[in-house]
Amino acid sequence: MNWLQRHIRPEQVRELSLLLLIIVAVLVFGSLIPRYYTSLTFNRIASSVVIITVVAAGQTLVVLTRSIDLSVGSIVGCTAYFAGTQLAAHHGMPPAVAVLIAVALGAFMGSLNGVLVAWGRVPPIIVTLGTLAIYRGILIDYSGAKTVTTDSLPAWLVDLPTVDVATVGGLEIRVVVAAALLVVIVFQLATSFLTVSRRLYAIGSNPEAAALIGLPTQRILFTAFVLSGALSGLAGFLFLARFGNITVEAGRGLELQSVAAVVVGGVNIFGGSGTIFGSMLGAVMIGTLEQSLFRLQISEFWRDAILGLLILLAVASDAVILNRLRLLWARTDLKLIAKSAPLPAREGEVTAP
Amino acid sequence: MTAALARLRSWEGLLLAILIVTVALNLANSPYYLGVENIVNLFQLEIEKIIVALTMTLIIINGEIDLSVASVMGLSACVMAWLFKMGVALPLALLAALGSGVLAGLFNGFWTAYVGLPSLAVTLAGLIGFRGVARILVEDRAIGNYPAWFNELGQQAFLGPLTLSIMIFLALFAVVAVVLHGSALGRLVYVMGNSLEAARYSGVRTKRVKMILFVASGVVAALAGLLYAARLGSVRGDMAQGFELDIITIVLLGGVSIFGGSGNLVGVGLSIFVILNLRNGMGLANITGNTQTSVVGALLILSVLVPNMAQLIHNRWRGRET
Amino acid sequence: MTGERRLKPLLMRVWEAEGVSLTEGGAEPRAQAAVPPILEIHDIAKRFGATQALEAVSLTLYPGEVHALLGENGAGKSTLIKIMTGVYQPDRGEIRLAGQPIVIGSAAEAQRHGIAAIYQEPLLFPDLNVAENIFISHQGRGAVTNWRQMFREAEEILAALGVALDVRSPARGLTLAAQQSVEIAKAISLNVRVLIMDEPTASLSAHEVTQLFKLVKDLRDKGVAILFVSHRMEEVFEIADKVTVFRDGRLISTRPRGEVTPRRAIADMVGREIGLLQPRAPVKQGDLILSVRGLAREGVFHDVSFDVRRGEVLGFAGLIGAGRTDVGLALFGIEPATSGTIVLDGKTRNIRSPREAMACGIAYLSEDRRQLGLSLPMSIAANISLPVLRRYLDRFGLVRTASERATAEGFRSRLAIRTPSVDVSVAKLSGGNQQKVMLSKWLNTHPRLLILDEPTRGIDVGAKSEVHAMIGELAAEGIGIIMISSELPEVLAMSDRVLVMREGRQMAIFDRAEASGERVMTAAMGQALTGEAA
Repeated sequence: MNWLQRHIRPEQVRELSLLLLIIVAVLVFGSLIPRYYTSLTFNRIASSVVIITVVAAGQTLVVLTRSIDLSVGSIVGCTAYFAGTQLAAHHGMPPAVAVLIAVALGAFMGSLNGVLVAWGRVPPIIVTLGTLAIYRGILIDYSGAKTVTTDSLPAWLVDLPTVDVATVGGLEIRVVVAAALLVVIVFQLATSFLTVSRRLYAIGSNPEAAALIGLPTQRILFTAFVLSGALSGLAGFLFLARFGNITVEAGRGLELQSVAAVVVGGVNIFGGSGTIFGSMLGAVMIGTLEQSLFRLQISEFWRDAILGLLILLAVASDAVILNRLRLLWARTDLKLIAKSAPLPAREGEVTAP
Repeated sequence: MTAALARLRSWEGLLLAILIVTVALNLANSPYYLGVENIVNLFQLEIEKIIVALTMTLIIINGEIDLSVASVMGLSACVMAWLFKMGVALPLALLAALGSGVLAGLFNGFWTAYVGLPSLAVTLAGLIGFRGVARILVEDRAIGNYPAWFNELGQQAFLGPLTLSIMIFLALFAVVAVVLHGSALGRLVYVMGNSLEAARYSGVRTKRVKMILFVASGVVAALAGLLYAARLGSVRGDMAQGFELDIITIVLLGGVSIFGGSGNLVGVGLSIFVILNLRNGMGLANITGNTQTSVVGALLILSVLVPNMAQLIHNRWRGRET
Repeated sequence: MTGERRLKPLLMRVWEAEGVSLTEGGAEPRAQAAVPPILEIHDIAKRFGATQALEAVSLTLYPGEVHALLGENGAGKSTLIKIMTGVYQPDRGEIRLAGQPIVIGSAAEAQRHGIAAIYQEPLLFPDLNVAENIFISHQGRGAVTNWRQMFREAEEILAALGVALDVRSPARGLTLAAQQSVEIAKAISLNVRVLIMDEPTASLSAHEVTQLFKLVKDLRDKGVAILFVSHRMEEVFEIADKVTVFRDGRLISTRPRGEVTPRRAIADMVGREIGLLQPRAPVKQGDLILSVRGLAREGVFHDVSFDVRRGEVLGFAGLIGAGRTDVGLALFGIEPATSGTIVLDGKTRNIRSPREAMACGIAYLSEDRRQLGLSLPMSIAANISLPVLRRYLDRFGLVRTASERATAEGFRSRLAIRTPSVDVSVAKLSGGNQQKVMLSKWLNTHPRLLILDEPTRGIDVGAKSEVHAMIGELAAEGIGIIMISSELPEVLAMSDRVLVMREGRQMAIFDRAEASGERVMTAAMGQALTGEAA
């Protein structure tokens, strides 16, 4: 038990149990649904999860600093549309450039959020509520209510969602899925190992102490929003690839879904704890439930109700269970200290709680 | 008297100035602008949102937020539609729909006030969950064919030129104004928004107050949903989607602080006028509805940014103080 | 420094009863080599509004020396510390570090100068692990975090301190003692030159204190200058090389440890001004209002028993953190007691909420009037009516503001609240007037028992005497009063009896006749009285 407690923290327990839940859910669904364990199911779930995972990764970065980014849906819509029109006009554009365009546009839009939050000191919820509307409005005006249609897009883009990067024993791994996984891995590594990204956690954990210590809080906040925008841009590109037909409504609602994934994934809405990996698990959990319930012919209309319940359970259980876990860990820590030098306490004294 | 003057120089003064400008611009475009007919039409456009904005004001001043209001609107309309389709008499269905608003409010209030979870997270779950329940009931159909009197409820003039919705709005405005600025409950709303702990230390029953506010928000949202259904003549599972953003914008633009404890209904009233005027004026100038939304979004940001910048400049000018 | 040091139990001094004896002498003073001072504070002054927090303070810290700072609450110690750590700027005076004059403009600057402070409540990042907390403010550790190395280095530092901690655990789960060790580790890792410790032992057990002192001595031997603020006399005399006493914002004395005794130090802390405040004329005391037996709140205070009669003023004396406010909060239902009995007017009550307390006739004036006691943006009248708003409602549920204002006006004249009108926002009032508004608010509830928590903190002399006079009147009206105060003269002048608490325990109850500054302070610091009374 000691080794376990030395190397696994309560937050990690949370993520592991989410992983366990996903596995259990898969097993349960597998027993209820014929032909569940197929490549098809995997890819169905994966495809629907890809976009949200990427957006949620950016949302995680922002939420860690005790902020929120509600404009991601509009950013996805804008970047999907813009990349789409550019590709439609220039069929010869190399894929890398197309991706770059989307990401750069997203980063730029995110930087406006960042400036207003970090230096304008406007609360993030207000800034991103505003830019949610502004960006959507710009999209609608720019598009003139025209749609990007699949026929106008180059073939490689339309086929992208079905392209495999590798086939492992019958299981086809799509490029887009691999891309999303790559994003998660890169950012997970970054937030675990890069000193600068550890400061994200510090700011969310204790903003006053962070400022007192002299951490560059404004720069860090700004960067978080730029990254969120950039990742939403990438998600916009993936969105374009998946749907082909981009209307002005593209991406609407993604902000809520990304927050849902983040919350279910164990990231604290007040910042300071949680991981990108967790938000990916959250997205996977939600996606698995959605697709499997669909297969079970439970109407899609149950999806949102269940999703709402899931979020509530996640937040409530975090508030209650995580605290209990932490107390459990803390008591163990106490024992560790006491073991090293046992001494009787002074008679009748008040010991620390 | 000096207090009133000080107020005038403040946020409400700013709003009033913007209002006068927008009205003047609109008048220049059309001399009938301030006619009663036109004003009624102006209000009708967004009447359901501004009704919900009234209870949202209470919630935000209290230091909380309710993201689920639009979903409750949809939920109540769908409950009504579903029961009606099943053959239940419409008045009964309407009552049940209001009841669903009560339940939604109890849900939000319980988890926020008694369990102590952040209202952002709880009402986010509600936003998604209530919408889900609505869609379970109605699926992707559009339920219409209501008796004529129901459809007229939303659109026809009732008292003089005023529609029922506008009358409800005016009545609710009066009620909320009295409650917020004259009743004990209103006092408690402000005190708790300023400091929940200080309220507790003064013997305020904070949990009860929060529950009351969330239930009120739920009921009013339910009512607004029914009015919206009456106006449209049809109910879909995704109706009123996204309304919460406009509603919150109206309240925040009215000078209510997102952190709670300050703001008043006069500001919100002015904000309503300003936004309606802006939309109308922009519409007449052939600015699309979505650009209008963008402008409102920009206004929202500026409403906090400008005072912040002013404060920063003011501080810098006076020199840094320890 | 090897990493495997274990603590030797025998290193621990055996505490004699409650501490060092009151006779002259003590341990040998450390031989003081002629080293240049590391930090010189010269003629510092700081004023806050009406209060002169520090006046003409000059202090010198030497490397390799533990310099203890003694003084009552409000004597100016924490203001000095905040100036040294860059939180406040002095109004005048100079600070020199290693001979060079410096300006400490911010906490970060203080850190760069090698000045670090450790407080009773550590300033850590709850979600980050211990190792990260130690190294978070380090520049130049590289772009990539080498976890293994960080954990190892953290463990080394902690082991050198003799502390066994799991460096991987988040700071949130640690005990206060453990968190403090982390703070010290942080300071060490930054090569601190001047370490300020502000009441670090207040919540530690004896064992943890031993560990801490070993640390402190190691640091001293390494050449760190340590400023040690504590109220525990036995600790001060255990660890200090020099002892400085503050009183009322001034530095009263600085002496090497060998030249001072606890008794002399207490005398300096308390001064000769006890007689300045006129003792309140006692009133005839009536029946028992409150009877408390064995009251306890787990982990906070225990075994508190006392009575309060009508017309009596029971003073609660003790140092900060002694648990007096906690007893008040238990009686008022904000942090209910976990065991013990409360009997009010002969009936046993179980008070679990402020409303229940108010129903029993108990009122509580918080020591934090700005954050907890008043609602600052609201008007005087609105504040006064808040706990009993019910009384001012008409049949529609609306507030009868005229009636509310009339009540407020009544209190305005009765308590001499200086304000142009009762509609003014409370935030605009001076501290003294704010206190009066708070008092009015609770008097308006017609209490039988009034708990005053630091009623004259931060208010000017004139308002102070007005408040005191008011308290006297209330006692004469038959209200029972519990007065929690950290100002000795006030406690001694106003109280019929004085209850002294220390670290959650009740130390003594003195009658007015036997209460003296020295007696009370001695009990508050846990000193046993040997020999005759002072």
